[in-house]
Amino acid sequence: MGVATETFYDVIRRQGISRRSFVKFCSLTAASLGLSPFAATQMAHALETKPRVPVIWMHGLECTCCSESFIRSAHPLVKDVILSMISLDYDDTIMAAAGHQAEAILEETKEKYKGQYILAVEGNPPLNEDGMYCIDGGKPFVEKLKYMAADASAVVAWGACASWGCVQAAKPNPTHAVPIDKVILDKPIIKVPGCPPIAEVMTGVITYITTFGRLPDLDRQGRPKMFYSQRIHDKCYRRGHFDAGQFVEAWDDEGARKGYCLYKMGCKGPTTYNACSTVRWNNGVSFPIQSGHGCIGCSEDGFWDKESFYDRLTTINQFGVEANADRIGGAVAGVVLAGVAVHAGVTAVKRLSTKRDE
Amino acid sequence: MGVQTPNGFNLDNSGKRVVVDPVTRIEGHLRLEVNVDSNNVIRNAVSTGTMWRGIEVILRGRDPRDAWAFTERICGVCTGTHALTSVRAVENALSINIPENANTIRNIMQLTLQVHDHIVHFYHLHALDWVDVVSALSADPKATSALAQSISDWPLSSPGYFKDLQTRLKKFVESGQLGPFKNGYWGHPAYKLPPEANLMAVAHYLEALDFQKDMVKIHTIYGGKNPHPNWLVGGVPCAINLDGTGAVGAINMERLNLVSEVIDRMVTFTNQVYLPDLQAIASFYKDWTYGGGLSGKSMMSYGDIPEHANDYSAASLKLPRGVILNGNLSEVYPIDLTDPTQVQEFVSHSWYKYGDESKGLHPWDGVTEPNYALGPNAKGTRTSIEAVDESAKYSFIKAPRWKGNAVEVGPLARWVIGYAQGKPEFKEPADKLLGDLGLPVTALFSTLGRTAARGLECQWAAGQLRYFQDKLMTSLKNGDLATANTDKWKPESWPSDVKGVGFTEAPRGALGHWVKIKDARIDNYQCVVPTTWNGSPRDPAGNIGAFEAALLDTPMAEPEKPLEILRTIHSFDPCLACSTH
Amino acid sequence: MPNTTRPSRFQEQVLAGVADIGGALNRELPINRPTIYVYEAPVRLWHWVNALAIVVLAVTGYFIGSPLPTLSGEASDHFLMGYIRFTHFSAGYVLAIGFVMRFLWIFWGNIHSRQLFYLPIWSRKWWSGVRQELRWYMFLEKEPRKYIGHNPLAHIFMVLMAMSITVGMICTGFALYSQGEGIDSWQAKAFGWVFRLFPNSQDVHTWHHMGMWVIITFVIIHIYAAIREDIMSRQTMISTMISGERQFRDDRED
Ligand code: HEM
Ligand code: HEM
Ligand code: NFV
Ligand code: SF4
Ligand code: SF4
Ligand code: F3S
Ligand SMILES: [Mg+2]
Repeated sequence: MGVATETFYDVIRRQGISRRSFVKFCSLTAASLGLSPFAATQMAHALETKPRVPVIWMHGLECTCCSESFIRSAHPLVKDVILSMISLDYDDTIMAAAGHQAEAILEETKEKYKGQYILAVEGNPPLNEDGMYCIDGGKPFVEKLKYMAADASAVVAWGACASWGCVQAAKPNPTHAVPIDKVILDKPIIKVPGCPPIAEVMTGVITYITTFGRLPDLDRQGRPKMFYSQRIHDKCYRRGHFDAGQFVEAWDDEGARKGYCLYKMGCKGPTTYNACSTVRWNNGVSFPIQSGHGCIGCSEDGFWDKESFYDRLTTINQFGVEANADRIGGAVAGVVLAGVAVHAGVTAVKRLSTKRDE
Repeated sequence: MGVQTPNGFNLDNSGKRVVVDPVTRIEGHLRLEVNVDSNNVIRNAVSTGTMWRGIEVILRGRDPRDAWAFTERICGVCTGTHALTSVRAVENALSINIPENANTIRNIMQLTLQVHDHIVHFYHLHALDWVDVVSALSADPKATSALAQSISDWPLSSPGYFKDLQTRLKKFVESGQLGPFKNGYWGHPAYKLPPEANLMAVAHYLEALDFQKDMVKIHTIYGGKNPHPNWLVGGVPCAINLDGTGAVGAINMERLNLVSEVIDRMVTFTNQVYLPDLQAIASFYKDWTYGGGLSGKSMMSYGDIPEHANDYSAASLKLPRGVILNGNLSEVYPIDLTDPTQVQEFVSHSWYKYGDESKGLHPWDGVTEPNYALGPNAKGTRTSIEAVDESAKYSFIKAPRWKGNAVEVGPLARWVIGYAQGKPEFKEPADKLLGDLGLPVTALFSTLGRTAARGLECQWAAGQLRYFQDKLMTSLKNGDLATANTDKWKPESWPSDVKGVGFTEAPRGALGHWVKIKDARIDNYQCVVPTTWNGSPRDPAGNIGAFEAALLDTPMAEPEKPLEILRTIHSFDPCLACSTH
Repeated sequence: MPNTTRPSRFQEQVLAGVADIGGALNRELPINRPTIYVYEAPVRLWHWVNALAIVVLAVTGYFIGSPLPTLSGEASDHFLMGYIRFTHFSAGYVLAIGFVMRFLWIFWGNIHSRQLFYLPIWSRKWWSGVRQELRWYMFLEKEPRKYIGHNPLAHIFMVLMAMSITVGMICTGFALYSQGEGIDSWQAKAFGWVFRLFPNSQDVHTWHHMGMWVIITFVIIHIYAAIREDIMSRQTMISTMISGERQFRDDRED
């Protein structure tokens, strides 16, 4: 490790933060973690001297949009993340090395930072054709994924692909693409879903792990609670219109121009856990609903297979017929009602005829 | 043993085989294999797309109004262009006309993508092929400042600025943790820039990284987010409200101003940073004339950026439309995407199955049935490939052909076709750049030409952004606020059996989606994508695609350090997720 | 005219809730007493409150799924969707609390109060009763048998279509409710497991919505059967659910 390593302390100093604020930051953090003042000093020391955490960022079947989102981060700036907070030693999308030189980095990291590096995974492994729908270095991606996971300290699942399977896993999932937790079974995995996730959520998760040296609190589905414990609908600025019963009834109608609720246009905000309505996108500029389109539920498990993004009631495609709960239920209830009427009629006729017989 | 391909290239796979896998600084998974002769000159090139997700298969049976979202996820780098192509295809099938404002806003979205993608490509995916980061450490900040000021008015160019940057870079390099720059080809003999130019380029690498996140705010405003903004069959989802109650819930003056401000910054950055850098770097590589391949021979552009809503004729399109064959620049052939004999895809060398693989299929009748198998001469095993066998199937990319011809697509193709059509907006800036560098027009047909055309197009696109945003404002001033046509929104209003085609010029080239809709559901969906054209494997006749052609005859300094290969391949800006989808 | 005035010892046990109800029903004793007190007041009260809650839940639930046309004017002047949802949730609480109380009542109530919570599927006799009732509904029997509580067919129907669906609606309903209350709420702690079964809560909405139609179907058949049996069977029905007394119309044995 060279003496000139730029540490977390250097970074915040460079951003104009005084030594006093830095020490204060450390003691506040220590306090919030329930640690002693002595620990604060330790933490300050660690942040001042610790080498940057190596991150290996791998790509399976994906669209690279999670990487694209990551580089949109405004706070922290992604250049600061890469130059000063982590050591992004392997990332197919931006790394200088290719081929053998690239593969050598994986070996070196595995050896030198055994149990210390973070494995960040974008996309997912397909299992059909012995994994050969995603080939990397002539071998199935899934092999490389398991190989690098084995010595990682923690695994980050970027986006809907790594977390749930996403578009390539939508029916009929021709490649048998699976979320990474189906093949990495023995490591803590933190899921950061979204298609893609919000940039600041991604850098927030990474810097949380590198700063505090642990994973953030996760919810039942393995997502960081701090960003994924509320629905879009819970904090949507159009919620007042929802409660009032004011809806967009057609695209570009009066209600659309007035910013009414998009529920009837199929908005999936009520069933989607993500930070869009609070953090918003691209440095807080907007989010899908603010720009007039409903949420399509892009951070939810299997959102591609819940039928049209524009239907409020999910279309159910069973036995070749296409309908929703109301159409199916209504039809069943109608048939039953008719059956009951017929039954009542037969009953009446029978009764009359028996009466006459008697 | 040498063979000549029908499209005029000599292949000889007798020399040493060099493999580059993974190819990095691209989108997705690509493998390249080349044979070099005893002088380390590339004599055979094989490009293999090594991923497949099956989006075309997944789309079958779905609601065509949703298709934009699925196809948009084909790629997050050229985010939005598939979505736009998709809504155009569905609108074409269902005869839906969109309002003028929707067309304008869609153009703004598409042009934003062009500018963003080109800048990110140049600085973050391509620059390291020409710029030696480590050499920047030995630059003199004062001299760097002088160089920067001599080529541009860009304000961030003081000696102090470059000094701070260099210090930071030095600390970074000395830390021993090189991050993304680890194991790069630093010091490779093919690098030609002086340290000062390297330092300036690294500074702009970081500035572009900061700025690209702001450019996409235009997508965020009109589409709600980036990557993967939202689209709508029949128009755009963002309603406009300038005066009414609730205007804050829609596109209002504050939003329009933000768009305008970002456009201004894009214009400035392109003019004051991107183009001067491009020219400065090119001036040191003038004698690196390799990588032409199909360019100058066979090139194609569908055209895009319709001036008038719903008019996709060549006359309405601001990006040129047509095909050039066999290097004959004096004739530009018209394109008909509905003609079953023009665009066809072959799979004789692709990991797919057709009934008769000697024939091509027009996308409306296209079939996507995977069939992974290595040829008899492949080395290694089925799950551990050492070398593919290019005489058999060897790639997940299909082989698209225009009337049987392999063509190159992309910014260079667009530029050359516009140039050949004598359009001043393409001809003049190209002539000026060539003149400044003291190069003939034929210099365009090279790796550097491809990279230069991208820069010129970025500048053009930034200018068009200004034009279309102004056009939108004029329309709003005239009281037209319409953004969507919902006459045919409901599937009940659709004919039971229709087909359509939509196209765009994606950053990487000509993109088409063909859709068949039956009983309100997608019956068949086929995408033929820019990188499908460029990265195409061989066809039954033996024609090679643009990647393979461009690599031929390039001398390599050290075959084990494939910098020259990366240079040429990167100049196409390959997107493998796109190519195979 | 009934010729016996005194209930048998077994009937007394049944009435006192001591004897095994399944056995009691399966024995299909000739019942020769004209009226028996079957549904105690809490059961009857629950029945009607529950019925009302379900009607309210179905109507408001439907409009949650497919809201009424948009209201014009300022959002602050309206709270239509809010009221509909509030009514739904209130009725949901009534349904859930009623259900719990009804369940607890089986520890105090008479033998009939327990019928709703199990099916004597091990009893041959009972199955023969199901068969006989089915045949009766298919017009293949001249007359049904007599039952003090629910006839076996009604019994199956009550347990499967009313009770299990009610439990399903309560679980899915409170799971959905917990989404608004937040993941730290008691609702999330008690019913959050539903999202393990359906990680994307859009599915929970769909199942909850389908459940409504199952209940509506139940209610249609139930009301029809209640009226029909009231007229056609050998004992009273609707008045029983009002007064609690079951009156038998003849004193023949089965
Ligand atoms: C939402 C509407 C309703 C629901 C969910 C419902 C549910 C039930 C349930 C669960 C029982 C069994 C009670 C027990 O064993 O404790 C029952 C019994 C009964 N209900 Fe309803 N009920 C509804 C409406 C009605 C209506 C409108 C009537 C009258 C026309 C009615 C008449 C009866 C009768 C007569 C019984 C007793 C049946 C027997 O003795 O076998 N119910 N109902
Ligand atoms: C017979 C019982 C019930 C019926 C028929 C019923 C019916 C419905 C229906 C049709 C919906 C609309 C579903 C959709 O399309 O999204 C709904 C939503 C809902 N129900 Fe129920 N429900 C019942 C019981 C309950 C209970 C016990 C609760 C618990 C409090 C509950 C809470 C909810 C909630 C929270 C929603 C979602 C509201 C929203 O998304 O705004 N329901 N219900
Ligand atoms: N090839 C390609 Fe794309 C582009 N440009 C799509 O159409 O990159 Ni992902
Ligand atoms: S999660 Fe979505 S955005 Fe991310 S790589 Fe997958 S498809 Fe792209
Ligand atoms: S727009 Fe969507 S998220 Fe917002 S209030 Fe309406 S339904 Fe909820
Ligand atoms: S579509 Fe995705 S981006 Fe947010 S608003 Fe919905 S989760
Ligand atoms: Mg295709």
